[in-house]
Parts: sequence; C-alpha cells; structure tokens
Amino acid sequence: MNVLVLLSIILFTLMAIVGGKKGIKSFIALFLNFAIVIATVLVMNDPNANPIWLTLLACAFISAISLFYINEVNSKTMMAFLSTIVTLVILLLFIIIITDQSMIQGFGEEEREEMMAFSLNIGIDFVKVATSVIIMSTIGAIVDTAISITSPMREIHYHNPTISRKELFLAGIRIGRDILNTSTNTLFFAFFGGYMGLLMWFKDLSYSFGEIINSKVFSDEMITIFTAGMGVAIVIPIASGMTAYYLVRGKQKN
Amino acid sequence: MKAWIRNLSKQQLLIYILITVAFISSIIFVNHNHEFYDRPIAKITNTVETDKAETVDQHQNQDYRVTQEITAEIQNGSNKGEMIEITNEYSGSQAVDQLFDTGDEVFVTIDESTSSGTIEDVKRDKYLILVAWIFIIILLAVGKKQGALSVISLAVNAGILSLALDIYLQNSDLSLVIICGISIVLFTVISLLLVSGFNEKTYTAIVATLLGTLSSLLIGYFALSVTGEQGLRYEEMSFLSRNPQIVFMAGLLIGSLGAVMDVAITMSSSIFELYEKNNQISLKKLKASGIDIGKDIMGTMINVLFFAYVSGSIPMLLLYFKNASPIGFTLSMNLSIELARALAGGIGIVLTIPIAIYTSIFFIRRKRART
Repeated sequence: MNVLVLLSIILFTLMAIVGGKKGIKSFIALFLNFAIVIATVLVMNDPNANPIWLTLLACAFISAISLFYINEVNSKTMMAFLSTIVTLVILLLFIIIITDQSMIQGFGEEEREEMMAFSLNIGIDFVKVATSVIIMSTIGAIVDTAISITSPMREIHYHNPTISRKELFLAGIRIGRDILNTSTNTLFFAFFGGYMGLLMWFKDLSYSFGEIINSKVFSDEMITIFTAGMGVAIVIPIASGMTAYYLVRGKQKN
Repeated sequence: MKAWIRNLSKQQLLIYILITVAFISSIIFVNHNHEFYDRPIAKITNTVETDKAETVDQHQNQDYRVTQEITAEIQNGSNKGEMIEITNEYSGSQAVDQLFDTGDEVFVTIDESTSSGTIEDVKRDKYLILVAWIFIIILLAVGKKQGALSVISLAVNAGILSLALDIYLQNSDLSLVIICGISIVLFTVISLLLVSGFNEKTYTAIVATLLGTLSSLLIGYFALSVTGEQGLRYEEMSFLSRNPQIVFMAGLLIGSLGAVMDVAITMSSSIFELYEKNNQISLKKLKASGIDIGKDIMGTMINVLFFAYVSGSIPMLLLYFKNASPIGFTLSMNLSIELARALAGGIGIVLTIPIAIYTSIFFIRRKRART
C-alpha cells in the first residue's frame, strides 16, 4: 500500500475518534484545501494569469473553508475572515517589494542539476510565483491566529457588554500576545524541519558563511520564515481592531 | 511624541535606544561590508539592452530572451575601483537567470585581460538583514515582552539546530535520530519555558509534547515499514548530501514539533485554568472540556503545517506542468515527501490532544492528593 494512503487513513481515523463530527469535517476541509492549491497551480499555468491575484483568490477560498465550513458564518468567523484578507494584502505589498529587490525567485544553482531535461523558458513570471509561495505558506498560520483572537473577544464582549471599544481592543491585543509565541514557534519548526536537508548540504559542502547568506535558496527560506512571523504578528492588531470596532459599534446601533 | 517619551521608564528608553543603534549600525555595516568578502563584488552602474528575441520551446511555451550589456564597478579587493563589462542574458520567466538594474550588487569573477566579468551570485545579505530587522521590530511593537521572547526563542532554537547538525556531521557514527531526540528535548524544554515559565502547566506541556512526538514517530515508522516506503519519492528531495530516509525522518520530527508544542501548551493551560477557577471540578468534566478545545484547534493546526510544507513545491510543479508532464506523475514526484510530512505531523497533533488531557489530569490528581 502507498505510504500516503496509509498515513491518510490513520489521520482520518484519529481525527474521527478524537474530534467526532468536527474532526471529520476538519479532515474534509484539509482535502478541499489541497484541491484548491492544486487548482491554483493549474490555473497559474496560463501565461496570461497573474499568480498574485490567483493566490489572493485562493487564500480567500482557503480561509473561507477553514472558518465558515469548519465553524459557521457568525460575527467571529466573519471578523477573522476579513482581518485575514486585510493582513494578506498588507503582507503582499511588502513581499512584492522584497522578492523583487532580493532576487530570490525561481531555482537556486543547487537545484539546477535536477532540471537539466526541462525547458526553463516557460513564459511564467517567477518573481510573482515567489511572492505567491511566501503568501501561501503563511495563510494557515494567519487564519489560525485570527480566529484565536476574534473568538475569545466575542466571548468577552458577550459577558461584558458595556466594555468600551478601547478596552475590548486592548483585551484582543493581550490575547494575541499570549499566542504570538506559540504561533511563531509552530511556523519556525515547520520551516526548520523542511530545511534540514539544505542545512546539512551547506555544511557538508563546506559553504562559507558569506556564501550561505547570499545564496538564493537560503535567503529565500529565511525571508519566508521572517515574513511568516510578521504575518502572524500583524494580524493581532488588525483582528483586535476590526473586532472591537464592529462589536462595539453594532451595540450602539441597537 | 514628547508625552510618549516622558511616559517611558528609563529602562524602556534605554532598550529603545539600544535597538535603534543596533538597527542603524547593522544596516550601515551590511551596506559597506564589501572588504569582508574574498569574492569580488561589483556594483552595476549602467545597463543597455542589446538584444531581445521571442522564443518558443518544444512545448509551445512562449517566452523571450534578453541580452544586456552591463557596466559595473569593482567594490573590493585588488581591483577595487576598476570598471568591468558584463554580458548578461535573461529570460522573461527568470527561473534561473536574472534581469539586473543599475545599483544592484553582484558577486563576479573577473577576467583581467579583457576587463570583463561573469556574474556568479547576487549580494543578498543587505535584504536579509533588513527583513530580519523589520521582523524583529514588528514582533516587538506588537508583542512587547512576548515578541522579544519569540525572537529569542527563534535565535536559540536555530543555534541548537545548527550545533546539533555540526555534531552529527562530524561524528557520523552517532545516529541522527539520537541527536534529533536530544535536540527535541532541548527545543521543547527551552521553548515551553520561554512561553509560559516555570509552573505545572509548562511541565505538563513538556511531558505531553515529548509523548506526542514519540508516538507520532512510532506511527510514522510503522507506516513506512509496513508499506515498504512505497510512494515516497526520495529522489526528488532537493539538497541531498546524506541518506534521504534519515533526513526525511529527522525533518519530520522537528517539523511537527512546533505544532505539537502549540497543541500541548494550549490544552494544558486551558485545563489548568478550568481547575484553578473551580478546584472541585470533576475529572470527567475536565476531560470533556479538553476534548472540546482539542476539536477546535486540531483542524487549523494541521492546516498551518500543511501550507508551510506544500507551498514550497509550487515553482517545481509549474515547471513540470509547463514541460508537459502528466498531472499524476507531477504530483507524486513533487508532493509525496511534503504530504507525508504534513500527514505525519497531523497525526502527531491529533495524538497530542488526548495525551495532553491525560497528562494534565495526572498532574491535577497528584496536586489534589497532596492537598
């Protein structure tokens, strides 16, 4: 049997046992997200498509599945969704500038050997693809942080309806600070795990420090780690601010 | 602004000043560090586009190739100040080549007889430092003390990882799994202590993380040996200088560790909070609330891992598709390793939920027995 099939079956069984109905739903969501990533890559094949817009659209679908399908449409998931999109757009502007300047798109010298048989003049702008990759690798973490802030904020507002907008905002920031450390850790280790091979490669081929930090692959991976960390951090004030604004204003109207 | 400065304590003011000084001096340094490099660096002063040709490859992909004549000034070494001519060719997609502009700095090899050169690489250190600083400043601005701890934990863990790899590479007779095991214990203890300090919920989370990682290792190992690793395309792992299976297993363990720690500390702190609010709460109720919290976090946590792993394959997927590779072949070649990692990490995350619940209950029982 194929390893991936066996691992999927084990994961599905465990999710169903531990999570019940919600666990099964989460597993289906994972599957749907995978389908979206593949569909996005297939559409990117069209040389006229802009990879950045496609990625934003894909991220909107992915957050909608993670928030609205697993949970439900309500003020906390709606706020988490909107703050995710705002964060992505801000992050995107930054990444577009930095990928263009630092020239980290495409493939490093180290990867070229395995692509000997391929034609590389394929008419797709790899600078834009590099931007898409960085955004896509952080979307999971940004959604996770956003919902972890908006959900308790709604609870606080529910139990304490007279709370002022500023106090609610500060409560959101405090919640965010508490989860910031674990969220960034999750991302760091995920990336470290993926880069183990690369780190050993550098050490085995005795690259000098200067060669490592200026190489395309290393810069690319470090910039991805840092940008992912930034995404998780800036979603905190955005989600707190938007939720505080929405919840307290909504009350004043009534 | 003035009021803001007046409100700061002396200590805070000192920290802000230190950060600003470190920031400015490192940016100045990295923009003037050419003499520290042995390889010649050239700064591009002028570029002229001499030729542009449409290309169509064997798969009917349309692209173009541009030739540019670059004039650049050497920035370091014995040829400092000299001008060289470089011919650079790039494609519209820039997959492995590069369009250069005036002001870009590149590593070159110089041919002194013709005062021409070839571009070897780009000087990227200044962008790396800049992004690192923006990251640090945003984390400090948003997270204050927690943000500082995140930065510290990133730096410390990166240091441990690098050290562990050095030890492994110099003593190949030591098994990487053992070194990884020791590093995992260090990573877990240090990261979780930084996150929530010395207290019972931290100890619970440490125990739960280690048990969770161990059980996901066992399940992963079981799945690999039962299936004879069928469907894993090690040959497509990039940057291999070592046995791919070992690199894969070690990467799998470290990669899921952050997510497992996140689940463990979230579970243990919520269960301990419930217990502290109501010392008389029944263990059954604690268990039920634990499961509820676990249900909420497991889907999104697996998503975090999934996207962090899978996105990196997008450029390679595009290259395969554009070279007319069949979809099934392309996916299995490029995604099998990443998907296996994400699935195994997911198993670790889900397993950690009940493990963290029972560990918390074990510690709470002991606490009750003592009082």
